[in-house]
Amino acid sequence: MGRIGCRGNQEKAGVGSTDQQSSAPELLRMERITKRFGDLVANDEVTFEVLPGEIHALLGENGAGKSTLMKILYGLQQPDSGQINLDRRLVTIRSPHEAVSLGIGMVHQKFMLVPNLTALENVVLGVSSPRPPLLELRDPRRRLMKLAEEHELAIDPDVPVWQLSVGAQQRLEILKALYRGARLLILDEPTAVLAPVEVGQLFRVMRLLAAEGRGIVFISHKLSEVKAVSDRITVLRLGRVTGSLPTAAASPSILSSMMVGRDVSLERVSPPVQGDAPILELQDVSCLTDRRTPGLDSVSLTVHRGEIVGVAGVDGNGQRELVECIAGLRPITGGRIAIQGRPPKGALRTIGLLGLIPEDRHEQGLVGDFDVAENLVLRAYGRRPFSAFGFLRWNHIRSHAVEQIDAYDIRCPGPETKVHHLSGGNQQKVIVARETQEDPALLVAAQPTRGLDVGAVESVLNLIRGQRDRGAAVLLVSTELPELFAVSDRVVVMHAGQIMGAVPPDPTRLGEVGEMMMGHTIQVAGDGGTAA
Amino acid sequence: MESAATLTRLVRRVFYRLVVPVVSIAAALSVSGVLIVVASGNPLEAYGAMLQGAAGSIGSLATTGVRTTPILLTGLAVAISFRAGVFNVGAEGQLYVGAAFATVVAVAPLGLPGFIHVLLALLAGFVGGALWVAIPAYLRAYRGVSEVVTTLMLNFVGIYLISYLIDPITGPIGERNASYAQSALVQETARLPVLISGTSLHAGLLLGIGLAVALQILLRYTGLGFRLRMLGGNPTAARFTGMNSSRQIVIAMLISGGIAGLAGAGEVIGLRMRLYDRFSPGYGYDGIAVALLANSSPLGVILSASFFGALRAGANAMQQATGIETSLVLIIQALTILFVIFGPLRGWVATRTTRRAGLTPGGSESAP
Repeated sequence: MGRIGCRGNQEKAGVGSTDQQSSAPELLRMERITKRFGDLVANDEVTFEVLPGEIHALLGENGAGKSTLMKILYGLQQPDSGQINLDRRLVTIRSPHEAVSLGIGMVHQKFMLVPNLTALENVVLGVSSPRPPLLELRDPRRRLMKLAEEHELAIDPDVPVWQLSVGAQQRLEILKALYRGARLLILDEPTAVLAPVEVGQLFRVMRLLAAEGRGIVFISHKLSEVKAVSDRITVLRLGRVTGSLPTAAASPSILSSMMVGRDVSLERVSPPVQGDAPILELQDVSCLTDRRTPGLDSVSLTVHRGEIVGVAGVDGNGQRELVECIAGLRPITGGRIAIQGRPPKGALRTIGLLGLIPEDRHEQGLVGDFDVAENLVLRAYGRRPFSAFGFLRWNHIRSHAVEQIDAYDIRCPGPETKVHHLSGGNQQKVIVARETQEDPALLVAAQPTRGLDVGAVESVLNLIRGQRDRGAAVLLVSTELPELFAVSDRVVVMHAGQIMGAVPPDPTRLGEVGEMMMGHTIQVAGDGGTAA
Repeated sequence: MESAATLTRLVRRVFYRLVVPVVSIAAALSVSGVLIVVASGNPLEAYGAMLQGAAGSIGSLATTGVRTTPILLTGLAVAISFRAGVFNVGAEGQLYVGAAFATVVAVAPLGLPGFIHVLLALLAGFVGGALWVAIPAYLRAYRGVSEVVTTLMLNFVGIYLISYLIDPITGPIGERNASYAQSALVQETARLPVLISGTSLHAGLLLGIGLAVALQILLRYTGLGFRLRMLGGNPTAARFTGMNSSRQIVIAMLISGGIAGLAGAGEVIGLRMRLYDRFSPGYGYDGIAVALLANSSPLGVILSASFFGALRAGANAMQQATGIETSLVLIIQALTILFVIFGPLRGWVATRTTRRAGLTPGGSESAP
């Protein structure tokens, strides 16, 4: 086996795979892969391998380099150095086409399907027909159905893809890869889009595929899922491998310290005096998603002055709708929302009432083509001192920007820099500065640290904590549990549009949160979090 | 020292703004030059004649001004909508309806002093254009219907509506027993003053230039302009600031349609003194080209409209002197726009300006 394998190559002891060749040669070995983007080292001497029949989880926070590594494997990007061995043969993968012909299949986070074509047509798309120029579908259909049956991947081959559910589209993507003869299957955060039941099904399929001797790379940043399905775990952080170990030997605390690089080192500061004045009140609030399916289901929640309430949950369980309802950006179909006793409609236009850090910086939080100064007054431009009699006062806007750049340590050449030139962390600081400058009574922060590096995470969380200490009520929505536990005074868990329960941010209660995230209801003693 | 640095920055900014249009025009003229050679003409001779016809004398300069006026106004109309992220491609129809509204006011013997009558006629033109775009504006803002389709379709409705209105037999504002479809003559009091006597250059040009300056100020220095630019820059982010986007869309479109209406009004009370059937050879569509060449900058529209106006003015002189068809200017115009929207040219400017800012494009976190 590999000479440089300082971490990998453990005996597969305790690994729940069914194949017996415990000394099998590795299917894939990526050796000392390095990839830079400008100053950023996305992959730094990463060594990664997959055995036949192994489900190998690639774990790491957003921006840790997981996707880059897999893009290199799939031929979408070329490494600056390092080599890739498949079946112990050195290969160069210059394009996805070459990757596919080498037996590598990838299911992207965003599906690569043509909505107007049927499932079957999508499968044969790009595979040459047995009888060119005619499109031969009889044999492909038979092959597809056989594959589907063998792997419990139920699919209707004749339905146009746009009619398929997200889960079915994912099954189709897997089938597509199998149809092209994938021996090594990369699943890029496959569970992010799935309902819990579907996650279970997916895991069963993954085990079936592994049992046939295929290698599976499972990308995720969710500990519970990785624990549940994988045989081995490799953790990436800031582009480096921080550890690789059999799943059986991995405890959540080991993994999270490998991922985060600090034992949830965001030390808890003892909560300040809890004002008991409720600022945000939700009572039996329901709403619909964009697709007109139920979004929130009778949610009741109260956030008080000087308190951070963390909202945990797998992405897509109603967090987005919750935030938009509170901000008055989404109509509610039932219940009542009050911010300091007022309805949310127009709250964003009221001075000092609501600060909103939206989950998607680029799409929702910034105007990329505006400069830093303009983005800092995106909400306040029409008020004094930035405006008088309908005219903007650029000298005030600019000097305000200079102050904020200094106060929030926004790294940029100056107030006239277009904001899309800034790094993610600095963009986020622009938003935080803007949304907190008027000392809002309520601050709603949705995934405020997503995609940021560790340093930026710290400073953004510290800014949010500062708001709480000032006396603001804070609702912090995040999928990152360590972060929620570090800064929240109370954590509520969302699942399928409901609040499953609340726990104090005590690390020993992580398990309960995980259970609730999966949809289990837990009787929580004390701390009635959802008090109306 | 300080001011010198500021000046350098300004010069640099203006330079980068001018790169795309100037290079595009140069490229279009070069390619058209090849066409002239193929047609066994001499491009230098042709362009020389064109320049002579567009700027060789006071008279030809006045002709350039006359040709520039309507497309300056429609160009501004389109540009302001582009800046707000709305694609009003219905300036042609709005121009016609604006012209009709202005005509109704201008032909009426109101006994008003000239200044007021002119203002009223212009106002009517603005209202007409704004009304014509109000339907697409409502549909876009409150019903999510693409304004590209609705504004374009209403062009044809508008053109034929005017044909009906001025019909000599049945039209409500048509001149009875006239041999052409036309309105009555515009009252003396409602006519825009001529700027250079002996030419037909009228005050519509000043109106356009003044409006360009006003729009530039609006976009840069007012809260409304900030909102419109925010809407054009990122409508989702605008919504997340609590802004009522629908209202801003309506405002942007009404302003845009109103200005297109002014273009029609200006033609009637400045140049033709009657409303004629099909009087616009596509000024509304030319406005799109003008706005694109100017990258939707109001002040830039003055330059781009002048360029296209000069092409038109010089076309006849070119044909007389060299026998090359006037339609060559349409080819030049089309090629210019093709080069403007040609990606690599813009990409070059983008990377240059980015590098100047001392940063890598996209920010570091977008890479992995």
